[in-house]
Amino acid sequence: MSLLFHDEKPVLGKEFADGEVILREGEQGDCLYVILEGRVEVLVDDGSATPFRLAVMEKDAFFGEMAMFADFPRVATVRALGPVRVMSVDKRGFLRWLGEDPSFSLRIMVKMAERIRLLLAEVVRLRGVLRERSGT
Amino acid sequence: MELENYARVAIIGGGPAGSLTAFFLLRLAREMGQTLQVEIFEPRDFSLTGPPGCNMCGGVISESLMQKMATEGIQLPREVLLDAIDSYVLHTGSGSVAIRPGRDEMRIASIFRGAGPAGAESQQPLPWLSFDRHLLELAKGAGARHVPRRVRGLARDAGNRLLLFLQPERGAPRRGEGELLQEGPYDLLVGCVGLNGSGVKLFDDLAFGYRPPPSDRAWIGELYMGDEEVHRRLGNAMHVFLLNIPRLKFAALTPKGHYATLIILGQDVDEALADQVLRSPEMQALLPVGWQTPVRPCHCQPRINLGAPHQPFADRVVLVGDCASSRLYKDGIGAAYRMAKACALTVMTRGVGAEDFRQGYWPACRRLDRDNLLGHLMFSMDGLMRHVPPFRKAMLAVVDAEQQDPADPRRLGSALWDTFTGSATYIDIFRRAAHPLNMYRLGMAFLRAVFLRSRA
Repeated sequence: MSLLFHDEKPVLGKEFADGEVILREGEQGDCLYVILEGRVEVLVDDGSATPFRLAVMEKDAFFGEMAMFADFPRVATVRALGPVRVMSVDKRGFLRWLGEDPSFSLRIMVKMAERIRLLLAEVVRLRGVLRERSGT
Repeated sequence: MELENYARVAIIGGGPAGSLTAFFLLRLAREMGQTLQVEIFEPRDFSLTGPPGCNMCGGVISESLMQKMATEGIQLPREVLLDAIDSYVLHTGSGSVAIRPGRDEMRIASIFRGAGPAGAESQQPLPWLSFDRHLLELAKGAGARHVPRRVRGLARDAGNRLLLFLQPERGAPRRGEGELLQEGPYDLLVGCVGLNGSGVKLFDDLAFGYRPPPSDRAWIGELYMGDEEVHRRLGNAMHVFLLNIPRLKFAALTPKGHYATLIILGQDVDEALADQVLRSPEMQALLPVGWQTPVRPCHCQPRINLGAPHQPFADRVVLVGDCASSRLYKDGIGAAYRMAKACALTVMTRGVGAEDFRQGYWPACRRLDRDNLLGHLMFSMDGLMRHVPPFRKAMLAVVDAEQQDPADPRRLGSALWDTFTGSATYIDIFRRAAHPLNMYRLGMAFLRAVFLRSRA
């Protein structure tokens, strides 16, 4: 029975309270997560006192997908921003769908291409900030 | 033979196969910069309770389909979800065992295909929404038009395109007795007519050699117990019964809000078999004390797909869903999802000629049909379970031991989990079940059960 979103009906997925860590940087992973409800923040340890917030993700976004393609440890920590409900997606099924369903693969590629586009925009923005600071 | 911009597509049937085919066709067309005019012909009103609003189904959405839909951004609204399921309990004549996946998470949904069982209308407004209505709205949101008319006949025009003959609306002025309204021509006709009713016979009009798959009847009933009793008795688990009752393959009891849905699969399933299952001690132990089967619970005996269809396509015509290829005994909605996608992908990337369907859509059907052959073989082994008590005990012992050890890969438990949840193909399940370590454990447990039995 859910304590975060409902009092009566069971809900799908798994719930996390505000601030709870859903996945941790450096751990091995065997699934990705889709956000069914709420928001999460993606944090990267950059050596400073507080981790660097790389992104905030909302409903329908997924995270943790790198573990599906290679045996990388998790590259970031993902933490709940308020109550969050997520559904995990198993590696076995995910890889099978990539092989047998081209439109599923296309959807994943579109999402990852969008993520690369945002990261490139961020690199350009940060380069501008550095240039301003160095006065060149 | 390709669809041109603004091509007209007629889909007969607004169940999951029809609505999802419309949705995927429109989504793919939009992504490819093309516009299609898609019309779904579905006379059923999914806001009605009982048989008029229901497409007759057990109403369980598999774990794998829930994960795939979530990844693709297709969510199930809260109002559609009746219950969430996180485990299975297997009941046999030799005891019961709970099967839990490795994760502490709800990933199986129970839903009503229509607006709920007959009699539920007394609690208007209904606290839930029909799953089929939700999918139809999803298709409409993508641009499909819903035509609430029954299709009575099909024909081709001189250009080989399709004409539909529709039953006029009730009360509409008629120019002659039995007069049908003509619609079309359509560049593509998709038949998602299921196996119940006369929908499959429509395609005889086009004489392209289609024959529906072999089928048998199941028994599905909605048992009212009240929310509290349902959850006290069943929890968040689906209960599967492998019992020594002649003609029974298996039965399942699924929590669904105030109701528990009983699904019975077997040979020539009828009221007498349903009554036997309901009176079995294993079932009685789960039902509320003193609970009596209602004289006429809302129930149906839908046809279920047991094999492969013959030639489910022709030029500009294709059949999708139960009337073509589906999963044996489980995950019919998941199969409709996969086949709707395969159909949409073939239409948009290859074309709508018979040869296009043979090369693009037919291999997806054949994969499913071939996997079902292995499913038949696996289900035929249930005789071992029913008639050989030591084997039954051995299986329960192995699954129980697996569940006690968190580090165990749970090969038998996961194979049984996937068999009843529909989360994996039969070949995948077979590979895990036939793992040498699994066979060794089962063999040892079997010998132990035989030894104990002979001593007793």
